[in-house]
Amino acid sequence: MDLPTFRKTLDDWLDQYASQLVPEHDGRGTLDEAMAQLAKVKRLCYESGWMRWGWPERVGGLGGSPILRAYLGEALNARDIVEPDVYSMTEVLAPTMISFAAPELAADMVPRLLRGDEIWCQGFSEPGTGSNLASLACRAIRTDDGWRVTGQKVWTSYAQYAKRCVLLARTGSQDSAHRGITALFVDMDSPGITVRPLTAMHGSDEFCEVFYDDVAVPFERTLGEVDRGWAVAMDLLPYERSTSLWHRGAYLQRRLERLLAAVPPDALSAGEVGEVAQSLLALRARSRTTQYRMAEGQQLGAETSIDKVLIATAEQNVMDLAVHGIAPDVLIGDDATSERWRAEYMYSRAATIYGGTAEIQRNIIARRLLDLGDDR
Amino acid sequence: MIETTEVELFERSVRQATERHTGEALDGALREVGWLEALTDDAFTAVSILFPLQGAANAVSFALDHVVATGLGLKRTTEAVVLPRLGTWAAPGAVTDGRVAIRGLGTRALLRSDRAVVVAAHERGRFKVGTVSTSDLNVRPVQGMDPAFGLVDVTADDAGFGAYPDGSGDTWSAAVVLAQLALSYEILGAARAVLSLAREHALDRIQYGRPISKFQAVRHRLAEALVAIEGADAVVTAVREEPSSELAAMAKALAGRGAQTAARHCQQVLAGIGFTAEHPFHRYFRRILLLDQLFGSARSLTLELGDELLRSRRLPMLLPL
Repeated sequence: MDLPTFRKTLDDWLDQYASQLVPEHDGRGTLDEAMAQLAKVKRLCYESGWMRWGWPERVGGLGGSPILRAYLGEALNARDIVEPDVYSMTEVLAPTMISFAAPELAADMVPRLLRGDEIWCQGFSEPGTGSNLASLACRAIRTDDGWRVTGQKVWTSYAQYAKRCVLLARTGSQDSAHRGITALFVDMDSPGITVRPLTAMHGSDEFCEVFYDDVAVPFERTLGEVDRGWAVAMDLLPYERSTSLWHRGAYLQRRLERLLAAVPPDALSAGEVGEVAQSLLALRARSRTTQYRMAEGQQLGAETSIDKVLIATAEQNVMDLAVHGIAPDVLIGDDATSERWRAEYMYSRAATIYGGTAEIQRNIIARRLLDLGDDR
Repeated sequence: MIETTEVELFERSVRQATERHTGEALDGALREVGWLEALTDDAFTAVSILFPLQGAANAVSFALDHVVATGLGLKRTTEAVVLPRLGTWAAPGAVTDGRVAIRGLGTRALLRSDRAVVVAAHERGRFKVGTVSTSDLNVRPVQGMDPAFGLVDVTADDAGFGAYPDGSGDTWSAAVVLAQLALSYEILGAARAVLSLAREHALDRIQYGRPISKFQAVRHRLAEALVAIEGADAVVTAVREEPSSELAAMAKALAGRGAQTAARHCQQVLAGIGFTAEHPFHRYFRRILLLDQLFGSARSLTLELGDELLRSRRLPMLLPL
């Protein structure tokens, strides 16, 4: 399947099934509604094959270039069929499973994620471990019949909906830093796991605290090698900055388009509108190059930090423009559309915080791309 | 398309030429390495090779004249061309009844030529391409912000105009796209050179007993400069692959703004030494400021884009996968 054929047939299919694919809720909807919508769309797309293109056949895919996945997510986001936050989890976690899980485990699990049967989450951050991921303390202790995990995670997106978690736990000594971390694939219904959603400032409880109290995890659920979980994390992070970033870019373009349609005459100056559109184009051009590099099988690395800085900046630019352009809606509107703008504006404030802060990205750029050496 | 090995060979010799020569000597060297032939064969590739190097070397040549002439589809690409005024890509001439009024700029090529190419608006958005005798022009060499560039100011109130038979508006927009692409490449070449100067300085300069490159405030400024350059560069590269007026204008705006962002951060890192006339920083900075204003500035191109978006209320779908 080549991209032009995929694009054409997918676009036709999306037109044909538009009424089935469209969300039933107005605006952003509740998290329950967003999850139901995601499951519905993924199932329809999986059954028609769209969701399977670009994934290897050994995990239920139909093969083909990852560019096809980039386009599918773009098309779904550009038509307001899915939200990028919930949709992107697949693009981050499925590649990790394909690279690091035992082949039978990946073959069993990945189709469930693609089909929308299951939500998965990513257990990285901890109360004492934000930017400094290598300092994590959640422990996995080796016993005769598997790992026992005890500790606390935070900022785990959609943990309350998740069936599985890609978890980073300390298996080395407390001061082993990045050398003593192991990645585990944990069933979220295991005894000893407690999930407590946090209500964030954008009004949603997508982020959770997750408590692990002596949770049993079989050895077969180890991802990659023991004490080599850092490699799993380092492999996963560039995925956050490739396909899912492309999808988020498509969503931002859609939001700017909506804003242009809604803005009253003279509410915005030409200069600010032009500059925001240019920042989105720079992001798109940069991210497009990244999509093709990934499709060619190149290893993605530190250079994706530039993509991440560009999208965080562009996202805040688009939402700042919304506050300027349609202030009455964003600030005092109580309809679903206004609520959505407001939530998105608030969420955009975190764009320079989640997935590696703006400062961490600049540290990576300085050290790895500008070759400035370490900062100590 | 030129063969890959030929491209590599061409790039190597152009690099040597730009590093060793500037001005007329560079023009001579470029002629020797086959710049004009490369430009005629594959303008986009040729431009993408010469202009980043010219920007990085802070060199000047008549290549921009050649690029505009090539964009206009002229057979003799070596003629001097009248460029638009500062901050705009509007055609520099206006023609009525075979006479042309001109408000524009040029390179020093204009001082050496008997005739110059002028693009002139004639009626409702239509253009004529033709030549004028340089003796009919008021040509004033400009020192200004960037004396080394060798800019000239060109005016004429009523000059004789020899129109080419097939000159049309389409060729003007093609010339603008190619010129904006060339200038974007040159601006980014200069910005990368500035970043490299600032990077080396940060590694060498010791304060508080360690290189200032160890300080996060310094590292982040340099990172910021690289992000500004790479964001613009991605769009510039896209123009080369899928040229269009819309895309070229946005690339030029991003390059101009990105280079000024990079220069601001790098100058701060270069601090005292970068403020001296002996340090090369100011020469690059002057060049960036001037090139930003040729064929539309970051500011004017951004305003133009914003006006269009607010008018049409839609976002053009650019750069599909």
